[in-house]
Amino acid sequence: MDNRVKTLRVVLFAVAGIISLRLFFVQIVQNGKWVAKAEEQHTLENTIKAKRGEIYMMDGSEPVQVVMNERVYTIVIDPMVANEEEVGKMIFGEDMKGYLTATKEEAFSDKTKRYFLVARGVPRAEALKIQSEELSGVYIKEGTKRVYPEGTLGARMLGFVNADGEGQYGVEGALNDELKGKDGLLKTVADVNSVALSIGDNNVKIPAEDGKNVVLTIDRNVQSNVERILQQKMDEFGKDQASAVVMNPKTGEILAMVNLPGYDPANYGDVESADIYINRVTEDPYEPASVCKGFTFATGIDLGVLTPETTYTNYGYETIDGWQIKNASQYEYLLGTTSIQKAFNWSLNTGSIYALKLIGGDATQVTEEGRKKLYEYYTDKFGLGRETGVELYESLGLIGDPVEGDGRDSLYANMTFGQNMLVTMMQVISGYNTLVNGGKKVTPTIVKGEMKDGELIEKQRGEGEQVIAETTSATMREMLYGTRTAYRTNGTDPAGYYIGGKTGTAQVIRDGKYSMDEWVATYVGFGGVEGELPEYTVMVRIWKDGETTSAETYALPVFSEISNYMIKYLKIKPKEG
Amino acid sequence: MRESSSTWVRNRNIVRHTPKTLGSVSQTVIFGVLVLVVGLIYVTQGTKATSYDYELSKVESEIAELQAQKEDLAFERSKLTSIGANSSSEVAANMEVGQVSGYAE
Repeated sequence: MDNRVKTLRVVLFAVAGIISLRLFFVQIVQNGKWVAKAEEQHTLENTIKAKRGEIYMMDGSEPVQVVMNERVYTIVIDPMVANEEEVGKMIFGEDMKGYLTATKEEAFSDKTKRYFLVARGVPRAEALKIQSEELSGVYIKEGTKRVYPEGTLGARMLGFVNADGEGQYGVEGALNDELKGKDGLLKTVADVNSVALSIGDNNVKIPAEDGKNVVLTIDRNVQSNVERILQQKMDEFGKDQASAVVMNPKTGEILAMVNLPGYDPANYGDVESADIYINRVTEDPYEPASVCKGFTFATGIDLGVLTPETTYTNYGYETIDGWQIKNASQYEYLLGTTSIQKAFNWSLNTGSIYALKLIGGDATQVTEEGRKKLYEYYTDKFGLGRETGVELYESLGLIGDPVEGDGRDSLYANMTFGQNMLVTMMQVISGYNTLVNGGKKVTPTIVKGEMKDGELIEKQRGEGEQVIAETTSATMREMLYGTRTAYRTNGTDPAGYYIGGKTGTAQVIRDGKYSMDEWVATYVGFGGVEGELPEYTVMVRIWKDGETTSAETYALPVFSEISNYMIKYLKIKPKEG
Repeated sequence: MRESSSTWVRNRNIVRHTPKTLGSVSQTVIFGVLVLVVGLIYVTQGTKATSYDYELSKVESEIAELQAQKEDLAFERSKLTSIGANSSSEVAANMEVGQVSGYAE
């Protein structure tokens, strides 16, 4: 054979051998590495973002959206690839001014960078314009942001969603798990344009589970008007903090929950202090003061140890555990034999202390038995110092133990008129619901149900537990009506309606002592017609740090205005005669 | 006795059964053609499936676009029917304060 042929054969075999060896190395030894690389190139792996549920309020009987989602876009450039002139014209123009996170010069200052965020929160119309130019080195990423067609309405009750998509404060925070849903996954073979292809054996598509559309019990008309009334009164009285809650005492539904001042949830970062995010109705424990007398007298009435006509001798003060506890009203004409109703009307602390004595079975002194019974009614029956069960963040407050600790008698004597204890407004109004709704402990709720395929699916709710007698509740309505009409309303309630309530002026603790110069005013009451269960309950709290704010002067007029609005809004017919 | 020529005899038509086998070249060609046909069918089906994927992708983009437009419109509608918009509207500004006229039973 020709030597050249032989040589060629050897060369060919050698080349074939080298190729075979390389192939063996690539295909067998490095198989995993190259398979992974190939998959990386032609596999598309995307998170399918779950749509955050929207939030609805009621508009009468119709749910309306108050928190929605809007598609917004983030624009990123690759300064190494992007054309500075083209990008400058399209992205750094006038239309994009409000969304830019950097100037053109900053974006192109270092062309070795492969990633530079230039705009965020860009509306769809602008993003589509940029996308249509098909600029190289410009990447547009879709996202969503919360939008609020009602503006600042109910901001502190609703909360907001932060940049990471997590709900913070209010409904957004407390119901975050329900609202945010569950992201899905798409893993599939894709072409060079990242179009998902159905070929391939290992494609995975786990659909996203969108968050629930939550419908609140809040009626936007009531919410809006209560906010308006509260703001007007704050301006009129020169106060800078106010909260109010309106409920249906029969169902526990919250119709309005207002905290002022508010903030713009769309620009939640533009606030001076994070305090403004707090929902004071459920998260801010305070001393309730004399509104607690309602609970004390109801306990005595329910136990059958007193009636509104029961009398005692009012000396203007009581001495318990060596502490002198005085009435706020020291008028001479109030001294002497006094009925419980009169003590309630004039908010006499001696009256509620006397009730505690009767509750304990000894009219001459506070007893352990009395403390234990009051504790049971306060906590178990009226829910003070306990979670109410409302679907929001709650603070517990503090109700002192009736047995453990020193000075329990004076502590409980003070607790009969709402001092030395901490509760939330939600606890107080829930307890008052029990006092006036026939004696049932109804769990307060802010969630009416879920919006599904355009239909409201209402949440099933149980009937409240009967915790005090119906007759006790009827007597309490009478007492509350009596104290409101006796001295305090000056004809502000329209004729034919049955409206009752109680004031509470709480001294603020400063440096461990009750301040004589700083008070918080509260008022809690109900409205409806005589002989029927009330249609609404309202609680108001108004104050300004460093100022005295009495309930009668400041909280009561706010209640009256809200009450009058509710009568009209609910179209409650007056009782004739 | 002489046998008659018309005497019955067995059928003498003989069929020759010769085994017919394809040559190795033919077999290779047929095998090749079969592989080609199956391959073509596979490629055709794959292409068809992929063309559906592109159509699907296009439809999905259209759905997303319409969905986005729907969301924008829903937001606009909500803004226009919001309490704030209504209370500050010209119509609201020109409304007269209502008078209580009693309740009909």
